[in-house]
Amino acid sequence: MSASQNLIKSSHLVSQGAEAASRLSFPCLQKYQCPKVYKAHLTPDSPPLLLKYRFQKQYRHPSLDVNLTRSRIAGEARALLKCLRSGVNVPGIRMVDATEGVLGIEWIEGQSVRKLLPGESEGDDEGEGEVGEEPTDEEKLDALKEYGVSIDQLMSLIGTEIAKMHLADVIHGDLTTSNMILRRPSSSSIPDIPTQTQLFLIDFGLSYTSSLIEDKAVDLYVLERAFSSTHPDSSLMFTGVLAAYQKKMGEKRWGVVKARLDDVRLRGRKRSMVG
Amino acid sequence: MPGRTRKETPLKNPDRPYLALGLEGSANKLGAGIIKHLEDGSTSVLSNVRHTYITPPGEGFQPRDTALHHREWALKVISDCLSKAGVSIHDVDCICFTKGPGMGAPLQSVALVARTLSLLYNKPLVGVNHCVGHIEMGRDITGAQNPVVLYVSGGNTQVIAYSRQCYRIFGETLDIAVGNCLDRFARVINLSNDPSPGYNIEQEAKKGKRLVSLPYTTKGMDISLSGILSSVEAYTTDKRFKPEASLSDQEDIITPADLCFSLQETVFAMLVEITERAMAHIGSKEVLIVGGVGCNERLQEMMGVMAQERNAKVFATDERFCIDNGIMIAQAGLLSYRMGFQTPLAKSSCTQRFRTDQVHVSWRA
Repeated sequence: MSASQNLIKSSHLVSQGAEAASRLSFPCLQKYQCPKVYKAHLTPDSPPLLLKYRFQKQYRHPSLDVNLTRSRIAGEARALLKCLRSGVNVPGIRMVDATEGVLGIEWIEGQSVRKLLPGESEGDDEGEGEVGEEPTDEEKLDALKEYGVSIDQLMSLIGTEIAKMHLADVIHGDLTTSNMILRRPSSSSIPDIPTQTQLFLIDFGLSYTSSLIEDKAVDLYVLERAFSSTHPDSSLMFTGVLAAYQKKMGEKRWGVVKARLDDVRLRGRKRSMVG
Repeated sequence: MPGRTRKETPLKNPDRPYLALGLEGSANKLGAGIIKHLEDGSTSVLSNVRHTYITPPGEGFQPRDTALHHREWALKVISDCLSKAGVSIHDVDCICFTKGPGMGAPLQSVALVARTLSLLYNKPLVGVNHCVGHIEMGRDITGAQNPVVLYVSGGNTQVIAYSRQCYRIFGETLDIAVGNCLDRFARVINLSNDPSPGYNIEQEAKKGKRLVSLPYTTKGMDISLSGILSSVEAYTTDKRFKPEASLSDQEDIITPADLCFSLQETVFAMLVEITERAMAHIGSKEVLIVGGVGCNERLQEMMGVMAQERNAKVFATDERFCIDNGIMIAQAGLLSYRMGFQTPLAKSSCTQRFRTDQVHVSWRA
């Protein structure tokens, strides 16, 4: 058995995709291409780290799956490194094992932005086993207060972080509110020094490097769609994100991205072309 | 149900049985169906008749010829549908027709039939969104409550989830639809269009063994398929490509079966992946596959494996309800009719562009 597998065996499964996420201490780790996510310790006293294990997808042809897994692990590690060097708030890398499909990254204590914003899309109405209730909108606003930020400030944190990432020519590829964590103010790595609430971007499994305006615009468009489908009536919020993005990018760069974003919005099939 | 109480559905059980006639002709299938909604809230399909316009191998269906086909068959299909159901057209409550999306000419010829019937028998018209028809029929047949819907057909490829009286599109194709991609490739390798090119691709793919490398193009929650089509077409001019493939296994050859297999594996893996992501994002435990490509058993199998990995359930229907049909138009139309919706004659036009998320889903909570 490889070292990575030993480590996984000794650790604690946090989530697989969105399933069961709301009941556990670290609900932001919804993930999609659905790696299993574990909380692990390299040594008993070391700070916890997060293991993402991309197990083999049975539905995919094995050779297709192996190639995809390997390139996504490597891509994720590369993108994280690039972001770290450019000062984007992302979790630090602790280990990479591309053959086994395991990536170990820094553990961030906090809450996903999706859970902090009002207007959840109604999830599973079946309700079986869904005891871990979705908080109501008011509870979410209270939770947000704990972090000491308003919705407007949160939006501007999001916009700034994305702009920093795009300035480093990293394209996230899957920007959603599930893929952003607000870190608890008290949980910085150096205790006793209170830090500001910080926003972290996570899950770079579909990311890549590109300096093309097109890719940046699509990245923003993906987020816009995620906002409108998960948080109805959120267009004002997204405007806040763009305003902060604009500020960080600078007028000149923003101008071209904005023009392309308007273009990208017209894509998708069967749109009414009237007016 | 523990915790959160389900919101009450705005749709009341009917005080008497309701009947609706549904007419569909947005592509090469002409369909008519009669649905009945009973006082206890259940539905029953009284008849579901379809006639498909089939073109020779290597050819697609042109809008003009398809419209001609629909015009020729409309009366036969409708009278078959009424006699199978054993009802008279005087008994139906409303006449539902496909308003869009689809090909303009076929849509118009069917809408014309619907308008004529409406005037002749003095029945109200209900214009229906084709995609919503698929979703509502799928929900009714399978009993899925609030599924993530993968809608895959010759003209549409969308991942849809319901929220606040709207079917929201999570991801979709940016260029061609998946059925279009498969059909067009069937034409390249000259597969028959009978019963459907997609079905013949599926049969051919069962013989394929070799997975050739194709682009894997997910872009955010969306996918792009036209490049894959070009790329798989390019293999047919490859030196290793041998159309007559009864040769021995050792040789380094690519057969049409291999290409069908590779195309299906790659494209379906992308579809399953974006569906899985939508499920994870909204936390749903149900997935419903609708649309013509939804009959593909390999796609259903892959979706099943994915669902099992995450403890979810897959709902799919067979060709009677997957492939375009009149009954789904009747179902969605009758639901909105019972909520008081009617399409006045002056507004009974059709449109080729009619997105799923433009419909106000008044009958769901």
